[in-house]
Amino acid sequence: MKVILLGFGIIGKGVINVIRKKKEYLKNKYGMDLKVVAICDRSGAAIDENGLDLELALRVKEETGKISKYPEKGTSLPIVEVIKSIEADALIEATPTNIESGEPAKTYIIEGFKSGKHVITANKGPLALYFNELLSYAKKYDRIFRYEASVGGAMPIINLAKETLAGNEITEIKGILNGTTNYILTKMEREKLDFDTVLKEAQELGIAETNPHQDISGLDTAAKIVILANSIMNMEVTIRGVNIEGITKITPEALSMANKGGYTIKLIGEVGENKLEVGPKLIPLDDPLNVKGSLNVAMLNTDLAKEVIVVGRGAGDVETSSAILSDIINIYLKSKKMG
Amino acid sequence: MIILDLELKDAPGELIKALTPISKMGINIHSVIHLREKKVDGRIPVRLVVDGLEDKTLNEMIDELEKLDVIITKVNNSIRKRDIDLVVIGHVVDTDIRDTIDRLNKYGLVIDLDLSMPDPFKESSARMKIIVDSEKLNDLYNELDKLSKEKNLLFIKSF
Repeated sequence: MKVILLGFGIIGKGVINVIRKKKEYLKNKYGMDLKVVAICDRSGAAIDENGLDLELALRVKEETGKISKYPEKGTSLPIVEVIKSIEADALIEATPTNIESGEPAKTYIIEGFKSGKHVITANKGPLALYFNELLSYAKKYDRIFRYEASVGGAMPIINLAKETLAGNEITEIKGILNGTTNYILTKMEREKLDFDTVLKEAQELGIAETNPHQDISGLDTAAKIVILANSIMNMEVTIRGVNIEGITKITPEALSMANKGGYTIKLIGEVGENKLEVGPKLIPLDDPLNVKGSLNVAMLNTDLAKEVIVVGRGAGDVETSSAILSDIINIYLKSKKMG
Repeated sequence: MIILDLELKDAPGELIKALTPISKMGINIHSVIHLREKKVDGRIPVRLVVDGLEDKTLNEMIDELEKLDVIITKVNNSIRKRDIDLVVIGHVVDTDIRDTIDRLNKYGLVIDLDLSMPDPFKESSARMKIIVDSEKLNDLYNELDKLSKEKNLLFIKSF
């Protein structure tokens, strides 16, 4: 199986590392010979139709910051041209998220389908804004579209709902879908510190981003809730339809108040009948949704299996790449059946 | 058989208070189960199983209990009342806390209030428990939204 990787940042490098680590495993378990035929970043691309040397690619990126410096096979060809001209079975789209426009990832995904490739993305932006449009391209070109890594990192939720829980009607999903806010609230609660202090510390530790707006405002959770609503519950909603409240107003006193009543406060994303919202909620201290640190958790309410709860690591390069790898394997197995 | 789910304060005499009117009406009580593991915020759910009753007698019994401020949350698993716990953040006192409570009491009943004011000039936090008829729940939520916008208060609700 040949893949093209778009984006060579934290997630992209994680994907390459996981592919390297699992190469033998994939061959032995699935008979899959996985080759990365192109890696693209802002500088251009490295292309080798026989498969790139992944260790070399990582070293070039590490040393020069530019994949286009890959010896002999480096090029400044724009990403769209790589997608159109290079033959591959699937496109792994791991470029930075833009929650306002969904671009340029949206264009890359569409070009991928148009050029006959299956697409895997970890990118919330285009999914939260243009889910149905992207799905219609996948259908039109008869390609597989997978996006497990876009919600909850390593926590399996989309494929769990669509495949393992097949036959169940899912009536409600709620949970903590952002590790940064969970880390901040957990720390504020345990150490009675105010929001700004904990945020600063989280930024110093690299848990929160330099610009943490998307996390703390609830926007990141909202994007994920929209993806779940559209992909699992067959809704047709966009991020503009989500009622959003972040965690910036939460105080340590409020957390103590909640504790006194047997609760904690968590930033919860919820989708259900007539409900599409993100906001801080009181969660009973002994509730399974009360997970600590930067963990993610989701509860799916279903008609047959009733409540199903998954907990997992919502971020991290290797963790997110594990979700991408599961999508690669799934596409490989399905496309083998498709012939 | 009729199953009544009550919510009682975790204090001596609360159970007797609820059972006395039932027994005075001559209704046979089959069992009383304390659901201590489900205790939240100092209140214990208690399940009563009584003999089958005509609707009229059942309603009379419910009226008698509610006169004594006993909270009946479910009758035969159909939800009658919900309790909503809230943590409120903002200038809770300065934005006329009496008015806030009065407006919430139009749809439910604020039964507990706890206030924390770390600094008179900073925002305070309050904890409230509101009992609301299940059919008035949406009205209560709408009022909370209105209060939130008008008074710049953040209401953090339980599910």
